[in-house]
Amino acid sequence: MPQYLVAIQHPENYDPSLEGEAMIRDIGALNEEMNAAGARFFAGGLESASHAKSLRKQPDGHVSITDGPYLEAKEHIGGFWILECADMDEALAWGRKAVVACRVPVEVRAFLENPAEQKIT
Amino acid sequence: MPQYLVAGYLPDDFDPSQVDEATGRAIHGLNKEMIAAGVRKFAGGLGAAKSLRAQTDGEVLITDGPYLETKEHIGGFWILECADMDEAMAWARKGVAATRGQVEVREIFFVPAPD
Repeated sequence: MPQYLVAIQHPENYDPSLEGEAMIRDIGALNEEMNAAGARFFAGGLESASHAKSLRKQPDGHVSITDGPYLEAKEHIGGFWILECADMDEALAWGRKAVVACRVPVEVRAFLENPAEQKIT
Repeated sequence: MPQYLVAGYLPDDFDPSQVDEATGRAIHGLNKEMIAAGVRKFAGGLGAAKSLRAQTDGEVLITDGPYLETKEHIGGFWILECADMDEAMAWARKGVAATRGQVEVREIFFVPAPD
């Protein structure tokens, strides 16, 4: 079964403590619905992007480590689901529900098939 | 055990067919090492993106392409179970070496029930 990443996008200054009860209920219900449908492989909320660490390879071969997200953007992935769906249409249907439940924009991407990878998992 | 997202970034015009054999072998070797250490919960490379945005009328608009208008995007990632951030960073360093790329590490701070 193909796997899809459904990632929610949060603004830089997103404050999870301001999430209302209705929103928390909606997200909980969506998680339960995904589980009941057998679609949910993994789900996780990420610590805010300001707590990210970025690792960059320097021309001399050393790896520099800095605090903060790698991309200089005003929004970052706040959390995500990895879903097992029949096709992109099914993944997009879950994505639509995620937009409504989480009150944020969502990005959906398919995982690439990697035959070499399958052998070692 | 805490979980960490170790995400690799690629330029928009990245062409997977240009990845040389040594890089492929290095990434494959790192995955085997992570599995042997029992830290790898998931790993995957990502394909093209679609973006979903709520409209003011409540409809959801779907467009082709990534949500963020940046020159680089996450190309793939590992979800690792590690004792702490230091252990995750040690794997991320190996990720930089194996992928010849740039990597970001973020703690996954909750996994919503039901698990």
